[in-house]
Amino acid sequence: MGKEECKTMLDALNKVTACYRHLVIALGSTSDSQNLREELKRTRKKAQELAVANRTKLTSLLKDKSISKEDRAEYERLWVLFSSSMDLLEVDMKRSLEIGQDFPLKVPTRHFIQTGMTGSTSTVAARAMSVQNMKYEADSNIDTADLRDLQAEICQVSQMMEEMEMKVQVAPWAVEAKQEAGAELKSNMSVGNSSVGVISICEEEPKDEEGGGGGGGDAGFASICAVVVFFVIVTVAVVLGYLVINMS
Amino acid sequence: MTIRNTLRDHGQRYRPRMACLKKAEKVLLEMQDPKSGVKSQLQRLVITTIPHAITGEDIMAWLSERFQIDTQEARTLGSMLVALGYVYPLQDHKRLVLKSDASLYRFQTPYFWPVQQWPVEDTDYAIYLAKRNIRKKGILEMHEQEQYSRLHKWMNHKWDFIVMQAKEQYRAAKERKKPDRVVFDCQERAYWVVHRPPPGSVSAMDYGLDRRIDPNADEAKTPDFYERMMIFTQQSIMRPRVKSSVSIGALVKYCATYNNHDPFLFRCLPSNPWLTDDVTYWTLNMPNVDTPTKMRVERWTFSFGELLSDPRGRDDFRRFLKKEFSGENLAFWEGCEDLKWGAATTMKEKAEQIYKTFLARGAPRWINIDGKTMEITVNGLKYPHRYVLDAAQTHIYMLMKKDSYGRYMKSQVFKDTLKRAICPEEHKFTDAQLEHNSKNRRPSISPIILRQQELEERAKMAANAPMDITQLCRFTTPIPHLAVYSGITYSPSTNASSSLSTLAQPPAWPSPISVALDSTSTSERRVESGEADQDGEVGGAAGVNVCKSRMALSLRRLLKRGCGPSAVFASLSPKCHTTAGMSGRIQPISPDPPGQAPPRRMGNFFQIKVDIPPECRIYPIESEDEEDENRATVGAKEIICPWESLTPPNGTG
Repeated sequence: MGKEECKTMLDALNKVTACYRHLVIALGSTSDSQNLREELKRTRKKAQELAVANRTKLTSLLKDKSISKEDRAEYERLWVLFSSSMDLLEVDMKRSLEIGQDFPLKVPTRHFIQTGMTGSTSTVAARAMSVQNMKYEADSNIDTADLRDLQAEICQVSQMMEEMEMKVQVAPWAVEAKQEAGAELKSNMSVGNSSVGVISICEEEPKDEEGGGGGGGDAGFASICAVVVFFVIVTVAVVLGYLVINMS
Repeated sequence: MTIRNTLRDHGQRYRPRMACLKKAEKVLLEMQDPKSGVKSQLQRLVITTIPHAITGEDIMAWLSERFQIDTQEARTLGSMLVALGYVYPLQDHKRLVLKSDASLYRFQTPYFWPVQQWPVEDTDYAIYLAKRNIRKKGILEMHEQEQYSRLHKWMNHKWDFIVMQAKEQYRAAKERKKPDRVVFDCQERAYWVVHRPPPGSVSAMDYGLDRRIDPNADEAKTPDFYERMMIFTQQSIMRPRVKSSVSIGALVKYCATYNNHDPFLFRCLPSNPWLTDDVTYWTLNMPNVDTPTKMRVERWTFSFGELLSDPRGRDDFRRFLKKEFSGENLAFWEGCEDLKWGAATTMKEKAEQIYKTFLARGAPRWINIDGKTMEITVNGLKYPHRYVLDAAQTHIYMLMKKDSYGRYMKSQVFKDTLKRAICPEEHKFTDAQLEHNSKNRRPSISPIILRQQELEERAKMAANAPMDITQLCRFTTPIPHLAVYSGITYSPSTNASSSLSTLAQPPAWPSPISVALDSTSTSERRVESGEADQDGEVGGAAGVNVCKSRMALSLRRLLKRGCGPSAVFASLSPKCHTTAGMSGRIQPISPDPPGQAPPRRMGNFFQIKVDIPPECRIYPIESEDEEDENRATVGAKEIICPWESLTPPNGTG
């Protein structure tokens, strides 16, 4: 059905937008490199393809006058999702252009900002492209050549957004969200224990570190541990008692 | 001829520009140099080590060396970098200051640098809060919770998107290795501490209101745009240009004159309160202090504007003018200032008041302005607005500047003030005393109280208005033997009687007239229907009292006669002609029996009507005509503002 297709495509666009943002954040810092520029380029291209596909689908759906009211409300909600994604993408693209121009790769006197990030972002890009591993095949002047493409693409995206606004009459403020406050907590994503432990070290008081880290671990895991420990103690107590009784 | 290209640079006029941002970016880039930049070290966390941590001391040392400044200033500069968000602290992340010990900092990634043209979006903040919510499992800080609920309410239509994006970004972040994840979280958190500061702290990026138009955006080329450009260029062509030698010379002169008076550039006696927390300087320089400081008096000699803008200087000048009996200029000027800066509700009344006191024919404190200005002013007073008296005010200002100011500088008053002026000793505080001073800082008097005091003083001054002798002029000295009297009364006629009685006191002048006045005043009060004249002014003419007796006789005769106005005129004018060679007519208040005419508004002053040579028409045109025709009908004439009609007898005078 149209709706399901739309939703999956929007999810994909969402994912790519998030990854793109992550990559742009790494731009200009010490984790920047030729690979990063290539990743940015490819993620961007993917984002654009998805955007175009989404747009055609959604405009065709919304232009259809014969759909029911609930359908229309749903499509409008999807439309708001789409346009917000595009907003983010556009801003990120513009910023990547700026930062890319400020931090060219090959100029030796231009040093990257020592932000502390040194790892590569290939996994993020792989996630965006939905591939297992990224293969890099770009040539060395990617930063300058890419920037020109980027400018053209930014123009394209802005034009596309304007067209969208013109063609489809959707009032974004009239859309009601399905998720309520705190909905993000209800997802079934596992919060990595290790990352939580390490991250909380950045909190102010050092004494929060380990306590916060350990305590913040998964509640289920802690309870299982407690139960296991309890049983072990009970077993030991029983064995000791038995031995004592036997002795005496 | 150059028109400077201010067309494209709307920025300075539109939005407060933070020029420091570009400069800070350059500094930051210099700090990155592996050879000459700041030395970085490793941050050891429990499981991992993260590179590129810098200590506060290192930053300060680098800044001191690079800019050749002392440690205090380096610290301030470093704190600014931290407050703007270019460098963030790793411990104590909420306090954005640079500590000069071994506390660790790290550089912020360029994406999170503060940039004015990329406004910080609430959508991003909502996504960040949602991510934080996920990470902290719903335990957000108080202000974050409040913001979260607020954003949820106001951005409800986007909330799906926000939740989806938060989850995706969270997952994307997890793809990276542990140290990078830590760094990323710290970066993002630092970014939001700068741009959405926790309550009780102020964001350094708070540059005030955003203006209506984004100066960086391209303006659409509509016909309106081109019209504005044309107007701008036309005005630029017409702008007067000054030779650079002249303007530079003026700048140099200004700098040389004011150099010693600028607390930034020179010492401030006794001491600069902002530096030493000792308020002697302010108490010595209060507006109504008795003995000013030498520096202050020196400033008065720089220009007339300086003298007038300093309340104590104005006071001194007023005293001088009082001695010279030409205080009406300054009073007029002050009245105009009051009109310009005062409340809009009382504007009309103020304008009328000023006209009656200073500008009208026969006004008590008549000021001497030329005919053209008078014409302009009177025409403008038909529809009074704030700046209607501007032309006259400028004229009087120039008059005072060219004439009285010079004389003031040479006068005894000024010399006395200069002699009495004090020159305080410079304070020499030790560090302990400075500490003590800073602990004893007290807030100054509330501006509300100050304003009240000011108003009270003004009222007091108006009440004890000095007895001013109006200026002599060709047109207002018709009869040399006519006494001069005046009385400024800003307050209503309750003072009329007092002013009338005090008129008896001033020296040489108005003895006969005062006698006459006394008689008139009694008769007036009889005749008066008791309505007080608003102005209660005593109209008078400037004149030299020469032949007192003859005048007194004629006046008494006039008053006793109680005849109609025409007779009055007829009888009076030949006399005036003979006596002074100038024509002048005194029109007394008609002592008509009350029943004769409908109750009129009686003024209790004389209006002197003078014959002015036709080539110089300074009097309001309409009233002239009207007066001519009303001569027969209207007896009593007050000083009526010409823009109001004369016919209704109870016209608002």
